Amino acid sequence: MCLPVLLVVGQAHAQSEEALQLYQKLKQKIDQVHDYEADVSIKVNVHFIKMPLTPAKLYFKYPDKIRIVRQGGISVLPRKGISVTMNKVVPESDVTVLDAGTEKIGDKTLRILKVIPNQQVEDIVLSRIWVDEQQMLIRKAETTTRDNGTYTVMLEYGKYITQALPDRIKFVMDVKDFKLPKGVTMDYETAPAPPPDPNANAKRKYGSIEIYYRSYKVNAGVNDAVFTQH
Amino acid sequence: MMLALLRTELFKIFKRPRTFISFGLITAVILIIELALYVDGEKFLAFASQGLTAQFDIQGNILNGYLITFIILQTLLIHVPLLIALVCGDLLAGEANMGTLRLLLSKPVSRTKLVFTKLLAGWVYVFALLVWLAVAGLLTAILLFGKGDMMVLKSTEVVIIPMTDVAWRYVLAFGFASVAMCTIAALAMFLSVFGENAIGPIVTTMGIVVVLTILSTLEIPLFNTIKPYLFTTHMVGWKGFFDMPVNYGAIGFSLAVLLGYTALFVLATIWIFNRKDILS
Repeated sequence: MCLPVLLVVGQAHAQSEEALQLYQKLKQKIDQVHDYEADVSIKVNVHFIKMPLTPAKLYFKYPDKIRIVRQGGISVLPRKGISVTMNKVVPESDVTVLDAGTEKIGDKTLRILKVIPNQQVEDIVLSRIWVDEQQMLIRKAETTTRDNGTYTVMLEYGKYITQALPDRIKFVMDVKDFKLPKGVTMDYETAPAPPPDPNANAKRKYGSIEIYYRSYKVNAGVNDAVFTQH
Repeated sequence: MMLALLRTELFKIFKRPRTFISFGLITAVILIIELALYVDGEKFLAFASQGLTAQFDIQGNILNGYLITFIILQTLLIHVPLLIALVCGDLLAGEANMGTLRLLLSKPVSRTKLVFTKLLAGWVYVFALLVWLAVAGLLTAILLFGKGDMMVLKSTEVVIIPMTDVAWRYVLAFGFASVAMCTIAALAMFLSVFGENAIGPIVTTMGIVVVLTILSTLEIPLFNTIKPYLFTTHMVGWKGFFDMPVNYGAIGFSLAVLLGYTALFVLATIWIFNRKDILS
């Protein structure tokens, strides 16, 4: 009677150990990058924001310094609490890692890991990461936060695959409609207003922000002053 | 002959201190708005964009010269028509009041040409006013606040225009605003035909503009049917240049409506003036 239970518990423990080891290898690979300076383009796909593809420079310094610079320009980024860097997609402190099976995305079978921080890590309650075990890369992550809802991150790799630095990151998140009184904005209306949708409030709306990394300068040293300049 | 008459009319307009009150008022309003935004602009912007900043991290110099100029234009283009009425309402009624209209009509110039000349002089004044608005507004705003991408907040969306893509939009916007203000000038001139005193046409023009602007702005279903026919609805067409993509069709239609009203006012002025008994 006890033996099947012990076998099941033992198997679960072994899987958990494997998952933790996979997670640690992944973390090790990501943490090889101590800093980088990247030329990026930011594309905002949100129904109420009209904005062209915008170039910028992104600076990162381990463990958590990040700055996006556009000379005189405006950047629209995922809200604070949603990290744009790889090392924050994979929480670094004491975590519990569980094996959540596999899923096929495209032509790749990916291992799903559930990562639960044992201590409070910023806002993160739970992360699910889809790992390409062969190349030791994160292809997708879904993070649930305490205050900022759930968001999904999709990653594509190219030239910098050996350093686990993506060519493209896409953040998908819930968005709410933007509203200001018409009497204040005095809009120029070019078409009659559409009839109100009775289900508008019930419908969940999503938006995405994509960051295309055109080039990186990796581990070349980034001055701390970059993160404090205005 | 017409050129000489035009020079005379321009002299009459720009000789009066009241003409320069308009330029002074515009300058004062611009400086007041810029000072207020310099001191409290961040709070104002935070309040206006809270629906956006609650969901996204917005970085960069949002409160820059281009946005400030947009805010100034939005405010002033409600008040500039009143300043135009002040000068253009006086063009015919003022002459009647001073008793110089008969003398003017004794010259070998047809009444139609006289109306056109006075209207042209009025339009030169309008253009000068808007050039001053552009120079005083845009230049001082850029000097004080610098350049940057322009963020336009509409009632249900946000448009962010790269700074390298803004200048031509302002040129076209001011051009459109000139046409819109020329419509006001034509309206004031039309009402000036009826007056023996400048106050009546000036106040009536102001009243018409205020009432029609309220009708154009209020979101009441009863007024929605008449809005497309009001020239005040189309006067904000300059904002159409700050959209992505620019809806040239809608702007073209608004321009056509404004030109149509202008033509209507001018033709009506000519028709009535040609038949009017000049008794003063």
